[in-house]
Amino acid sequence: MKTNNIREIFRENFWGLFVVFILAILGVVNQWIIAETASIFWKNLFWHLAGLICLIFISLLLDYRKIPFNIVWYSYLILIFILFILFFFKKRWINFGFISFQPSEFIKPILVLLISLVASKEPNPYLKLKTLAKLFLITFIPLILILPTDLDYAFIMGIMFISFLIFIGIPRKILLFLFLVGLIVILLVFPIIWEKLKPYQKGRIYGYLNPEKYAQTWGYQLNQSLIAIGSGGIWGQGIKGGWSTRLHYLPAKYTDLAFAVWAETWGFIGVSLVLFLYGYLLCFCIKISSTAKDWLGKYLSLGVGLVLFWQALFNLGGCSGILPMTSIPFPFLSYGGSITISLYFLLSLMFNVAFKRYFFK
Amino acid sequence: MKKFNENAFFIRDFLKTKQKILKGLFWERRLFWAKILIVFSFVILWLRFFHLQVIKYSYYLKKAKERSVVSYIIRAPRGEIITSDGVVVATNRAVFQLYLDPELIKDKEDEILYRLSRILGEEIGSLKERYYLAKKTSLGRVLIKRNLSWDEVAKIMVRRYYLPGVKVEVESERFYPYGEIYFHLLGYISKITLEEYKNLKEKGYSIEDYIGRMGIERAYENILKGKNGVIEIERDAYGRLGKVINRIPPTPGEDLLITVNHNLQVKAYELLKDKKGAIIALSPQDGSILAMVSTPSIDPQKFIDGFTEEEWERINSSPDKPFLNRALQAYPPGSTYKIITAIAALKAGIINSVNNSVFCPGYFKLGSHVFRCWETKGHGTVNFIKAIAYSCDVYFYTLASKLDIDYLAEVSKEWGLGKTTGLGWSEEKEGFVPDRAWKEKTFKESWYQGETVVMGIGQGYLLVTPLQMARIYMAIANGGYLYKPYIVKKIKSLNGNTIDIDPHIEKKLNLDPQHLEWIREGLSEVVKIGTGRAAFVPGVNVAGKTGTAQVVSLALKKIKSLEHHAWFVSYAGMSSPQIVSAILLEHGGHGGSAAAPLARELYKTYFGIKESKSTIPEVNEQDLTNEN
Repeated sequence: MKTNNIREIFRENFWGLFVVFILAILGVVNQWIIAETASIFWKNLFWHLAGLICLIFISLLLDYRKIPFNIVWYSYLILIFILFILFFFKKRWINFGFISFQPSEFIKPILVLLISLVASKEPNPYLKLKTLAKLFLITFIPLILILPTDLDYAFIMGIMFISFLIFIGIPRKILLFLFLVGLIVILLVFPIIWEKLKPYQKGRIYGYLNPEKYAQTWGYQLNQSLIAIGSGGIWGQGIKGGWSTRLHYLPAKYTDLAFAVWAETWGFIGVSLVLFLYGYLLCFCIKISSTAKDWLGKYLSLGVGLVLFWQALFNLGGCSGILPMTSIPFPFLSYGGSITISLYFLLSLMFNVAFKRYFFK
Repeated sequence: MKKFNENAFFIRDFLKTKQKILKGLFWERRLFWAKILIVFSFVILWLRFFHLQVIKYSYYLKKAKERSVVSYIIRAPRGEIITSDGVVVATNRAVFQLYLDPELIKDKEDEILYRLSRILGEEIGSLKERYYLAKKTSLGRVLIKRNLSWDEVAKIMVRRYYLPGVKVEVESERFYPYGEIYFHLLGYISKITLEEYKNLKEKGYSIEDYIGRMGIERAYENILKGKNGVIEIERDAYGRLGKVINRIPPTPGEDLLITVNHNLQVKAYELLKDKKGAIIALSPQDGSILAMVSTPSIDPQKFIDGFTEEEWERINSSPDKPFLNRALQAYPPGSTYKIITAIAALKAGIINSVNNSVFCPGYFKLGSHVFRCWETKGHGTVNFIKAIAYSCDVYFYTLASKLDIDYLAEVSKEWGLGKTTGLGWSEEKEGFVPDRAWKEKTFKESWYQGETVVMGIGQGYLLVTPLQMARIYMAIANGGYLYKPYIVKKIKSLNGNTIDIDPHIEKKLNLDPQHLEWIREGLSEVVKIGTGRAAFVPGVNVAGKTGTAQVVSLALKKIKSLEHHAWFVSYAGMSSPQIVSAILLEHGGHGGSAAAPLARELYKTYFGIKESKSTIPEVNEQDLTNEN
């Protein structure tokens, strides 16, 4: 009976897992293409392997229904504490010498968990005002803390979690009200924020609006990214053959513009492959959310899907010039310890839900 | 799910269940929208990438190439030009060129320029000025100094480490070993202008290219030019050069074998050196140009090595106009034209025998107007032969007075006057043959017969080029074949193929052999007993005609610059004519005394005659100075 179950689980979730494995391999390959020194490649490989192992263990051995609220709550508080300290020192990174990590990456999994836990206690199709207020508070405290050091990430995470809350169910009236308030606040606050923006942040906006004009200054990054992507053509320039990658024209090629490297190397074919796989993974999240047996599971897997969606949208939109350039890494393809671990942790939550769909207890 | 039973059915439970069902339904609807959002966004992204990578692929590839590939043009060596006797008169030599790559010295330009100025011993100011000026106009590297000496090369190579972005390259450069002698014939080359570059980019010209400006260099630019090669090297974001990704070797231009006789050309230049004028020598057999010299001349090498400002100023503003190829400029022909008058009269039947004589009293009267013969004493009774030999103006006044201007113009044009000769050089002038219609159109006045009379001795509105004149005498020498001037006889490409170019007859003139005989006799009498005695060469039959073209009225004669143009057009040969030449000395004085002696020297060189002075018949200078 049990073996049957496992086979069933495997069959139902095979494609989802398979896509994750393929994307992981593509990520490793991509960093190998970019890598100028072997150490970055090995580090990246290590993070992906660690992430995959963590994914398998957590998704198989843990049970999301039994996650104690207190542990999540405490880790949230610890995160807030760390962020507060970083806020105080105006830093983005914690550096331990041999390793440095970016606490803001861990806001995503913890918030997904916390919001899902809180919201799943609500029986109604729409959240009550009180719960809603609580969730807003939970969401915005860490985001405000990272606002000065990592404006674009805070902004995008705001979009991620507001969209998550909207899907969980904000009553229409409140939504409309929030929308109007938000609009007014943005209109009022925008000039103030604009004044406070650092030159490079303003420059990104200029560069986005007119990449050719600011090709050598603000638009440099976008311009180089567009050249890299465009010159990939249909079939790509081949492994380690891309001019932009090889000749150091792409800034931040390990992280923010890792996808431009991919596009240059493999061309439109490679881009289509990644878009398809990634899109499939997102739809898989939606499917899990639809078939999960309880609300916590439904919320968790949708939350994971939305986080991955917005992250990819802003990265791809940024490097292809349809959205302003932001310093958001692309999951799987970009290098980074914190983001990789946080990514696999999110996926393990989703797969945990996926596996537990068949246990009727 | 909880099982219902009737007893446990409470309104509360019902509401709860309804909430649950509603929540589930709502959730499915929201998930549907989430899916729409995801699919929609990804389709947009996918289309965007399609647009960038498929539709705008070539645009971005071009941008990527512009950014990450530097291409260096390797200039193709121009084809060589070799005379018929095997002398290379335009060739290429290897020179060291000093280049700077602005990309590599972005923020230390001044420092590098300062070091270079120390090494080259040049003023920093002028070097800087040159660099920044060149940087603006050239793409990629900038030429700082050409033709470095060995010493300079050694100094730079030793300090290479301290001179990033500085490059010494060996390039082939045009070299004219004979300088001024061949200036007008070969022409010269100079840097392409920005305007020309824009037009010629498609044809493979680069901004650093040279282009032919005159003579053969311009007329045969397409053949001489060759095809530039290119080296494409990757350049990274920091300006470091990487591997060579493409190397197309240049195709050298094709060599031209020209009909010019080097010895004759050198001699012709020697003869004209301190004068102002032109010599053109043709072969009557095929119209090939044996020599073409115009003075004053310029050393074409200077256009490559560079003029000093002073030299340039002098050349450009010189009243002598050294750029003009005088062999192709139009002048009044003077008495050399009398041959055409004679031919027209013969054809029209005005003369039907050599012995048709005219009495020359020293003047000719038409109505109330008196036309003077150059011999104020008069020639007495002259027949056709004597009239040519002594260049008797009255005889030709008489012929011309009986001719219609339109007929004379027609014959002139038939003999190739009033239009270019087919040489195909843009510096060639057409000359001018007046006629009735032109006069009426220009001056709103009818043609006077007096004007025909003046034209009969080659004065008036008539303008001819030395080349046109030489062609007329060529046709007389070879029995009426009007050849196109023939200069390039072979094109030799690098793979050893040669293309022969054949001479081209423009037309065979319709000429009575008897008339031709008379004219030829007259022309040889010119040299034997007449006005052209100074052109006599022992052992060679020289026949020709002197000419002294009046520039302005007699009253102003004293001023040197307004002296007459001296002409001598002739042909010579041992048995049959082998060479035709036209000599023009601008404001040179009289044809017989100024131009004819040059012909003698020219023919002596051509036929290789070395004789002692004594064999030359004494020519009374006084005799010749007044001749026409």
